[in-house]
This record gives sequence, structure tokens and C-alpha cells, in this order.
Amino acid sequence: MDDQIEPSDAARALSEIDRRREQVIRREVFTGWFWWGHAVLLVVLAASIESGRDVLIGIGIAVFVAGSLLVDLPVQRAARAAPTRRDLAGRASPAVPLAGLAFVLGLIGVAVTTGLSLKAAGVSYPGTIAAAVAGVAFAVGGQMLVRYEMAVLVRRGSEG
Amino acid sequence: MITPRFDELIHAPTRLSLVAFLAATEWADFAVLRDSVGLSDSALSKQLTTLADAGYVEIRKAFVGKRPRTSARLTVAGRTAFDGHVAALQEIVAGAGRSLAPTGRAAQPS
Repeated sequence: MDDQIEPSDAARALSEIDRRREQVIRREVFTGWFWWGHAVLLVVLAASIESGRDVLIGIGIAVFVAGSLLVDLPVQRAARAAPTRRDLAGRASPAVPLAGLAFVLGLIGVAVTTGLSLKAAGVSYPGTIAAAVAGVAFAVGGQMLVRYEMAVLVRRGSEG
Repeated sequence: MITPRFDELIHAPTRLSLVAFLAATEWADFAVLRDSVGLSDSALSKQLTTLADAGYVEIRKAFVGKRPRTSARLTVAGRTAFDGHVAALQEIVAGAGRSLAPTGRAAQPS
């Protein structure tokens, strides 16, 4: 049968296979508001802790936990609907986990440096401001990280 | 070691799209497959049944709360057939490239 297949037909089929693989990798699992939702929750938690009032701390923790579950739910649902094959991700070299680690360490560094600097300068609510800065970095950087991971996976996939 | 083997069942355009999508996932929900490949419910059911009858796809039906949830994944046989089909396609394309390349004899001046 394959003798009857034109090379152009075979090439079209291979390109369709690549297109479907890329479609799986680029499938939107994280919504934009997932990142900003977590950023806002982080600020709420930091502000409640920094208030020093037990009631507000309790409310802040409750809002953070409930809000996180709520924000994560659609993402988890979307991820479970068609999880990318593990070995597809495994072929992505250490670049992807290293980028994730660098992102987390960078966020901690931004939050701690900002918080300590503001505290040393005598600014009010340094923790809340630091959480806001880290939240913005999380929301912007998180989306960039996901796009980077997708690009790496697509590139590795097309290299075979 | 993947043995190139052209698979007529997989090569049909709609099934190729479906199998290629499934090959990149652990499994996929019916709705995701339908929306991603752009098929109607009945067309997708028909293609999945054809693939399941060939032993290439496993279809799972479960309930999430009261809502039925159908998902599909490639079986080991399906994945082997798909890998063999991809290798066969690559061979065809590579073979065409070789036949177009100038041979040593043709390149020599007469």
C-alpha cells in the first residue's frame, strides 16, 4: 500500500501529526486570571498577616485557601481533560524544570529583597508591598514561563 | 526499535488527526477531542469505535457526579501502529529526497 502513497501525501501526513502534537502542547490550561487571581490572593494574605490582628489573619488565611482552591479548580479540570504525555515532557531536557526552579527562586528573591529594603527604609506595610511586587512578577513571569515551556516542548517534538 | 509499517486505518485524514492527538496525550476527554479535531459528536463516536474495534483505542466511560464522561486513549497496539506508521511516512519522504538527489554517476561530466 505504501508504494501508492505519494511523498507529498506522506509529508502532509507528517506535518498534520506535528500540528496535532503542537496543539496538545499549546492547549490552554492556564487562564490569564489564574495568575492574577493568585497574585491578588497573595497580597490579601500578606496584608492580613501584616495587620497583626488575629481576626484579620484568620480571614486572610481562609480567603487565601478558599480562593486558591477556586482559582485552581478550572485549571486542574482542563489539565485532566487531556494531560500531555509524560515522555513528551520528559524529552524537553533539563531546561524546563530549571526554568521553573529559577522562576520560584527569582520570586522569593524579589519578595525578600523588596520587603527587607522597604522595612529598612521605614516604609509602612513592607510585606504587603513586597507581596504585590512578587504577585505582579508571578502573574507576568508565570505566563512567560508557560509560553517558554510550550516553545521548548514544541521544538523538542519537531526535532523528534 | 520501531519497524516502519504503513497503516491504512490510521492514515485516513480524520483518524490520523485523532490518533496523532491521542498519541501526544495520556488520554483525552471526548469533548476535548471533538473540539480539537473539529468533529461532530456522531462523527467522533464513529471514528473512535472504528479505532477501538481495531484495538488501537481504549474508550472509558465514567460518571463525574451525574454527568457521563467519556475519554479515550491509545492502547499499546495503537501506539505501536502509530509509531510504525510515522516511521513508514518518514521513509517515504526520505526515499523521495534520495531519488531527487543527484547520484555520483550523474554528477560526473560525460
